Amino acid sequence: MRNALAIARKELSIYFTTPTAYAVFCGMTFIAGMMFLAALGYFQSMSLQFLSYQQPQLLEHLNLTDMVVYPLLRNVGVIFLFMTPFLAMRLVAEEKRSRTFELLMTVPIRPFEIMLGKYLAALALMAVAVGLLGLFPAIVSFFGSSGTIMSSGAGSPIEWSTVFSGLIGLFLVGGAMMAVGLFVSSLTESVVVAALVTFVVLLVMWILNWQAGRMEGVARQVLDYLSMPTHLDAFAKGAPALKDVVYFATFMILGPFLTERAIEAHRWA
Amino acid sequence: MHDRTPLFQCGVFKMRRSRLIAAGNGNASVGDDMIEVRNLTKRYRDLVAIDQVSFDVQKGEILGFLGRNGAGKTTTMRILTGFLPASSGTAKVAGFDVFEQPLEVKRRVGYLPEQPPLYLDMTVYAYLKFVAQLKGVPGAKMKSEMERVANLTSVGAVMDRVIANLSKGYRQRVGLAQALLGDPEVLILDEPTVGLDPIQVREFRDLIRSLAGKHTVILSTHILSEITATCQRVLIIRQGKVVACDDLGGLAKKYQEPNRELSLEEIFVKLAEN
Repeated sequence: MRNALAIARKELSIYFTTPTAYAVFCGMTFIAGMMFLAALGYFQSMSLQFLSYQQPQLLEHLNLTDMVVYPLLRNVGVIFLFMTPFLAMRLVAEEKRSRTFELLMTVPIRPFEIMLGKYLAALALMAVAVGLLGLFPAIVSFFGSSGTIMSSGAGSPIEWSTVFSGLIGLFLVGGAMMAVGLFVSSLTESVVVAALVTFVVLLVMWILNWQAGRMEGVARQVLDYLSMPTHLDAFAKGAPALKDVVYFATFMILGPFLTERAIEAHRWA
Repeated sequence: MHDRTPLFQCGVFKMRRSRLIAAGNGNASVGDDMIEVRNLTKRYRDLVAIDQVSFDVQKGEILGFLGRNGAGKTTTMRILTGFLPASSGTAKVAGFDVFEQPLEVKRRVGYLPEQPPLYLDMTVYAYLKFVAQLKGVPGAKMKSEMERVANLTSVGAVMDRVIANLSKGYRQRVGLAQALLGDPEVLILDEPTVGLDPIQVREFRDLIRSLAGKHTVILSTHILSEITATCQRVLIIRQGKVVACDDLGGLAKKYQEPNRELSLEEIFVKLAEN
């Protein structure tokens, strides 16, 4: 564990002493900010339109959580799709390219510890990303008014339990994506190839349910289950089921496990 | 070509066979072979990198590893450090098989690869600390251990500089410092003097000499004067095969010509040329 933490610390120090992490997080918050403003603008215009309808069941859904935070968190998944390949690409591939892999393989540590250190660092990055994104609901909560536009009730303008569920969902999406990226990175010496392959795999996982519309029955269910947005959506709505947790856990266990095997394989060939 | 150089087994090889069995698993005691290599072969598909290499290195001995580029020096060293697996044959360090008990071997070996394994984005201090942690240097001793190796390799002045900004000589020395961390019993150094200036080469020579006795060192180099100055024994390989393994005096005696003794360079040229 000590070794794994040493590796995680080393990874994070490289991410945060070079521009990598800052550039990626800057880009992420900028794009998320654009999405956030768009959602806010939409909410504003909808509020004005609906004000004349006087229909309580419609206005029920016209709150900041459902109209601003929920779409924001769902869309941020797309940012993660572009961002995680860049963050994960160097994890193992860079060690091989710069020959430092030879150091890791000749000091008394296990491949498991190398993998664990790297994945912990990746998860820490995702935690920072989710923390930054948490600022958007916080802003809404600070400036928004509570209740619906019909009745300005007391309490928080944000349904924090739903928002937290969404943020946890985002963290799991990030963790799953990093798991894919880590594994792909352990298969190649080229960071560019690692990023590209990771991106393609993740994109396929992301748009798998586009095909589901044309299908019926089991095929449709399977495609739906396999695609990532389905499960992020469940979290963002604040109602994750066990299958959503299992889905992300599968990535987060399988990816590191395969990475460990890939590193161990170097001792054999 | 075949008649000129018979294939030598190491002289010590046959002698120590019985002791090898007695030692079995576990730590080698004083006087024993620290490194035992038996019939080591490494094939990369059709290419045979090393072929039936056998040799021993005694505890406290400094072995010079010679051969032309591509002769198989780096491959042998990589197998000894557990970075590469052998296709066949065995290698033991301190009685532990490098493939079966890699952690035990890695705990005892300091390795400087041909290209120093440096993280260019880190400072020398952060880098050495990271390696010391991985080598299991306890926290309380960390600082003194880092100071010790920094003094040995004289990198103390650049501790806070980022490695990417260091000259080749400094990078090489940081790589050496990394290998010395944790005071390992065995040092495997792949061309350690590349990029050092003459004065640094001299300091390095003194450093290696000071390690003799306590540490077992395998060092590969193309600078033959390096070998005569520091090593007790020389191993020469050609196209993956051991062609000589003897102490310097023995080599000179074996290859002397009627009227004069050959220099190491002449012997090397004679043995290592394809």
